[in-house]
Amino acid sequence: MKIKISSIIKTIAFLCVTLVCVFAATVVLRSKESEYKYKSFFEKSDQIDVLFMGSSHVINALNPAVLYEKHGITSYNMGGHGSIMQATYWELIEALQYCNPKCVVVDSFMLQKNYQYLDEMDESYSDADRQSSISQLHLNMDCWPLDKLKIAIVKDLIKDPEIQKQFFADFYVYHNRWEELDSNDYKTLFGHADKNNLFGAEMRYGIELTPGIYPDPEDKNGLGGHTIGEEYLRKIIDECQRRGIDIYVTFLTCSATTDDKRAIDSAQIICDQYGVPFINMQEMGVVDLYTDLNDTGHMNALGAIKATECIGDIIAESGDLPDHRGDPAYSDWEKSAEAFRSSIVDKELNSESIYQQLDYLTESDVSTILYINDGSQAFGDNQMQRLIHNFTVTPTIYHTDGPYIMINDVASGKVYEASGQEVLDGVSTSIGTLHYIPVEHLFRLLYADEDPDTNYLYDDSKLDYDIQIITYDNETGEVLSHNYYKSYGSNYTKG
Amino acid sequence: MQFVSLGFLIFLPFAAIVNFIIPRKFRYIWLLVISAAFYISIDVKAAAVMAGTVVITYFAALLIEKASSGADQPASKKSAIILALAVTIEVAAMLVLRSGKILGAIGISFYMLKAIGYLVDVYRGDEKAEHNPLMLALFVSFFPQVISGPIERAGNMLPQFAYPVTVDFDRMRDGFLQILWGYFLKLVIADRLAIYVGSVYNAPENCPGTIVAIATVLYSFEIYCDFAGYSSIAIGVAKILGIDVMKNFDSPYMAKSVAEFWRRWHISLSTWLKDYVYIPLGGNRKGTFRKYLNIIIVFIVSGIWHGSALTFLIWGLLHALYQVFGYITMPVRDKIVELLKIDREGLSHRTIKTILTFFFVNLAWVFFRASSLEHAVAIIKKSFEFTPWVFTDQSLLGYGFTQGDFKVTMISLILLIAMDILNFKDIAIRDKILSQSIWYRWIIMIGAILAILIFGIWGAGYNASSFIYQQF
Repeated sequence: MKIKISSIIKTIAFLCVTLVCVFAATVVLRSKESEYKYKSFFEKSDQIDVLFMGSSHVINALNPAVLYEKHGITSYNMGGHGSIMQATYWELIEALQYCNPKCVVVDSFMLQKNYQYLDEMDESYSDADRQSSISQLHLNMDCWPLDKLKIAIVKDLIKDPEIQKQFFADFYVYHNRWEELDSNDYKTLFGHADKNNLFGAEMRYGIELTPGIYPDPEDKNGLGGHTIGEEYLRKIIDECQRRGIDIYVTFLTCSATTDDKRAIDSAQIICDQYGVPFINMQEMGVVDLYTDLNDTGHMNALGAIKATECIGDIIAESGDLPDHRGDPAYSDWEKSAEAFRSSIVDKELNSESIYQQLDYLTESDVSTILYINDGSQAFGDNQMQRLIHNFTVTPTIYHTDGPYIMINDVASGKVYEASGQEVLDGVSTSIGTLHYIPVEHLFRLLYADEDPDTNYLYDDSKLDYDIQIITYDNETGEVLSHNYYKSYGSNYTKG
Repeated sequence: MQFVSLGFLIFLPFAAIVNFIIPRKFRYIWLLVISAAFYISIDVKAAAVMAGTVVITYFAALLIEKASSGADQPASKKSAIILALAVTIEVAAMLVLRSGKILGAIGISFYMLKAIGYLVDVYRGDEKAEHNPLMLALFVSFFPQVISGPIERAGNMLPQFAYPVTVDFDRMRDGFLQILWGYFLKLVIADRLAIYVGSVYNAPENCPGTIVAIATVLYSFEIYCDFAGYSSIAIGVAKILGIDVMKNFDSPYMAKSVAEFWRRWHISLSTWLKDYVYIPLGGNRKGTFRKYLNIIIVFIVSGIWHGSALTFLIWGLLHALYQVFGYITMPVRDKIVELLKIDREGLSHRTIKTILTFFFVNLAWVFFRASSLEHAVAIIKKSFEFTPWVFTDQSLLGYGFTQGDFKVTMISLILLIAMDILNFKDIAIRDKILSQSIWYRWIIMIGAILAILIFGIWGAGYNASSFIYQQF
């Protein structure tokens, strides 16, 4: 009997140690995407006043850091990549278990989708689409603990019981992630894993130069029938109204297809039926299709700033949402806003491409000197001309072969331009009183009275580069960056 | 419910604990209940076929015994007729039903051989007919063996069912270790290799020749790890339940001849064929020609048992021809060895023989794996296209393998070969592990569990029911 008791104790101890090791393995191996996105949600659930719901359009377009900076309103971006309306609905129901928002903003993109199950979709989709759809759902679902609600959600979104298993026990799908492990996976064991510092939002920093423009639908009847997407939008509105939560339905600017435009009309019809505000950003002209999109479907960070400020202005009007700025309990939101602003400044100083840099410089966190030498192929590049014209009020850039200079001095609020053999004589900027003289093709002068020995636009080693962008501090005039670009048609290499 | 399923991992501890608690004399009833539950959970229709087999076998054995005027008596003509009738019915049922198209047939080739072996034993007077139908039903349906063997003998199993040994802690640990090894072979090695082999064999014409040759070598390891993995799990599970099941594999690729290979590969089938086909045909007692003929017949039977396709027949014939050729050329080979003064017991000579044997066995596996004769010939032809640059130009990767898969495969195969060498040298590895202190034991066991869970091919997108030998 003695032996049996010791054997039982040893067996139990062995099982306990094994379970601990297996649990540790599951923590390390689990995909961190969902945890990364929603960690701050669980940490700050008692401080969240606004939830942004929807697809990747929302993830990229609505930035809680911007909303806090502008209005002091706390929000969380719950958008999911590829989230169709039913996934968005269930995401909201899960979120409402943990927080009590005063306002919900839900985007109506993909309202036209008329299939129930993500692993089934309809005949127009390929197996790769289905696989991608299932994979994207993990971002939305993995973070929620397994309970009755999660089981109900998975059964509502996924038809195949084998695939459902992936969502009930994540080790079932992630145990083979061992090849992808990085330091962050191990940090999770000790609770130090990275987290999304933009409260669920993800900013993209590219620029879509050729957004598609599609015809409007022939009528305003919307989708012309009942879709599952519409059904779940109604459920979302019902749920919010039942709980006394203000709800705003949006359509965020993108290169909308005719089908998308029908969905916009349908969203408008539904909102009218429920007496809910519909913010159709597509028609508001807030976001510029040519500068504020990362790709045809998603906004870049500049678009996100504009879209968030626009939504912020609307929801702040209600007066129900408190301004938390200055409250020490909300210092993390403050830090997030500062960090985001800093990331934008970084893009202004140094971007991957000239288009990107010019685009971000319109934020005016720093002042800019742009010089383009005569003969540069930039003068035949309409997209480049459009970006430069964003700074100016004159059409000079469209009518010159160079040389061309533009100084955007933010502190004084003035923009100076000169083209051809024009000079700028004694313009007052934060750097000092500047003089610009285009002497010859390979030589030009730009100096300040305060430092006449420094010619800002001449460097022996950079004679081949036809474009220069100098940024300087708005207050002190200190030069912050000096970038050189060479044009080849509409391609530009950075020096 | 399959061995590789969450259901089985819950089912097994429950079955073992109840088996441990209930009185020894009733354990066979419990084992029958869980065996029936296990089998029905896989295929209800197949359970009907098995029940029919039990009924026929039970009554046929009683009638044979009665016709022979009791056990241990020489067989009568009447008992021979009953045996012939029962065996004919069972073989016919096996051949007709094993496709699974008419009724479920999971494991039919395995439990039918057990039943036939039992009837022959009773007929020969080697065994008494089992009068307890539940006991016989358990013999036929014992769940660890029912899907893919080992094909046990009534003489070994029925006494154990009647009086199972005490399951102590050491036995439990031993069985557990054996199960872990089985899962490692199956999930980490076999199923990983299956990805590569499947990818190459699906379109050998699109692969460099050396890649096809490598895939063929890897298939030899895949089928070994798949089947030996199953057998190891089956033997370990039976051990935990207090039943000792015969060894089914004994370092087969260490064999120095094809004949020795068959003494080490699928031992339960090889010995069954020897006892119930080869020896009754006269074995090697009726002259050299009959011996060779009997070998050919045995391997034709083996080929047909594995499947109706011509490829299985060729596979069986190849193995028969290897052995016949080996016997015929033995004097010449002996002479060469003598002339060259080669040390037969030297490591180099033994290694060369092992490699050559592996090569011949490997060649035959192509027919076993290929979907048709043409496919097999195409693979073999392609294998001889020499493209050694695949070792240096990264072409080895791909075919479903990542760099990580490649490393895991290499490490696992080195471990497998090391274990097989130790086993070949009669070193009992599990005993060595179990004799270590608790800390080493735990590290090994927990390490094995984690390795299986992390590096095993299971989970989303994996078909857990795909043991290769389950189809036979």
